[in-house]
Amino acid sequence: MNSFISLFSYDFMINALIAVLIIGPLFALLGTMIVMKKMAFFSDALGHSAFTGVAVGVILGIVNTEISMIGFAVIFAILLNHIKKRNMENVDTIISVFASVATALGLCVLSFGGNFSEYSSLLVGDILSISKMEILYLIIIFVVTIVFMCLAINKLNAISINQTVARSHRIKVQLIEDIFAVIIAITVMLSIRWVGLLLVNALLILPAASSRNISENMREYVIYSVVFSLFSGLLGLFISYFINIATGPVIVIVAAIIYFATYLYSKG
Amino acid sequence: MNKSKKLLFVIIMLLVLTVIGIAIIAVSISMSKDESAEGKDGKLTVVTSFYPMYIAALNITEGADINLNNLSEPQTGCLHDYQLTTEDVKLLSKADVFIINGGGMEEFLDDVVSNYPKLKVVDSSKGVDALEDNAHMWMSVPCYIKQVENIATELGKLDPANADKYNANAQTYISKLNELKSMENEVNKGSNVVLFSEAYEYVAKDYEMEVKSVLDLDEEKDISAKEVAETVDVIKKDNVPLIIAEKQYGEKMADIVKGETGVNVVYLDTIIRGDYNKDSYINAMRSNIELLKGALSWK
Repeated sequence: MNSFISLFSYDFMINALIAVLIIGPLFALLGTMIVMKKMAFFSDALGHSAFTGVAVGVILGIVNTEISMIGFAVIFAILLNHIKKRNMENVDTIISVFASVATALGLCVLSFGGNFSEYSSLLVGDILSISKMEILYLIIIFVVTIVFMCLAINKLNAISINQTVARSHRIKVQLIEDIFAVIIAITVMLSIRWVGLLLVNALLILPAASSRNISENMREYVIYSVVFSLFSGLLGLFISYFINIATGPVIVIVAAIIYFATYLYSKG
Repeated sequence: MNKSKKLLFVIIMLLVLTVIGIAIIAVSISMSKDESAEGKDGKLTVVTSFYPMYIAALNITEGADINLNNLSEPQTGCLHDYQLTTEDVKLLSKADVFIINGGGMEEFLDDVVSNYPKLKVVDSSKGVDALEDNAHMWMSVPCYIKQVENIATELGKLDPANADKYNANAQTYISKLNELKSMENEVNKGSNVVLFSEAYEYVAKDYEMEVKSVLDLDEEKDISAKEVAETVDVIKKDNVPLIIAEKQYGEKMADIVKGETGVNVVYLDTIIRGDYNKDSYINAMRSNIELLKGALSWK
């Protein structure tokens, strides 16, 4: 028990804990909408655009590549959103093309001179190096997301069910979808350094998908999603601390176990 | 689906997962029990950033009543891209003194170290005759000697009670290192050479070799056909007799180039990992010198 309490004597653990407490519900909320709107592939593509974002920053000589990452991701998200509107039949293909181009462009620039290893932390992430300032950013985007969800959750819901009907109710479909895409873009970019590009999408999707397995209405869907997300975040953080492995993967494994359990329950 | 049954399922599922989690944590705590006692006994705790620094500190602090730890070693290549584990951050947050190689080698630590303003950082690279943009100075024996002196002096300032011991130990260690230096003189100098890692630029410096080309090969780097062709051209044009490469990362490339030109290849230890023995550095360096001596003996 003593060792467990000793965990809180480290600043980096407290910061990581706060980060998990914010990222958990934030991801859960966004995840519910992403899963419902069948945008899992979209958010995955956004994650990959981080490569190009960093590359743009390196070329422009921006020291804090986070800014260029967010900037690029926002543009990328809006662009993707508009293009996929025009070609409803093969959204998959278009997103895939965009994601590949963004990854390839980024890798080209970042691997110039054989220095890609410098950026490999983008792939896996490192939640232990999160600082107070960065927690503040997360809090801001968290508040923005909650406000947006309160105002627009029903509209988003309506859009995902039937766009034409939504439009006939004077819902500004394009605007709401764009804002939603931008929020996802910023959240994903802010989280990549902690969670890692390879797993950020898993954390967005898994809690919501698990919750969808067992819930019957919107309220249950959101609540279970937040509960699962927080639970896997906290358990993952503690386990990874004590057995000395990277945090992101452990969180994803816990979330995946929850997914399979709820899946079996819903079938059984 | 029955609502209360569902709630029960969720609660049971989360409880089971929590119990499994606690079991995993409990097992890992019981396995690493002795560790939690470290750093709470009032002794000076010294942490080194990586292997050559640890070996130097091990020699310097011999017989002094302190805790000496090394950060966990990266399993791959150089530590430019190394990430700290939780163990490392725990070590650093308990440490009093942190010995680093300096010269940009530990860039990844800047953020972490700034979180611990009380941590005293000993930069061993001060006043070392280093090459530009290259911090692998431990690969040169004279530079390493200077680093050992720096560490001993700085440690002495931070821990005056043991200062004499540190200096005496450093002198003993340096006299052993000087033997290496005289061994180096038996090697033929002034050869042309192609290097497959920046680290060997210091070797080239010690042996007054003329470096015709440096390829920095590490685990993340893909070799391009152009680079192979250029290396082969350089070796043919300048009549380079020798490639110095790292066994782990350079072998593939070295085999290709060797097949093309018949050039001689030696694989030298970059001494960034090994056993935690006082004489590890000296042993590794000695075998490096023997290898070079053999490779250049035909001259």
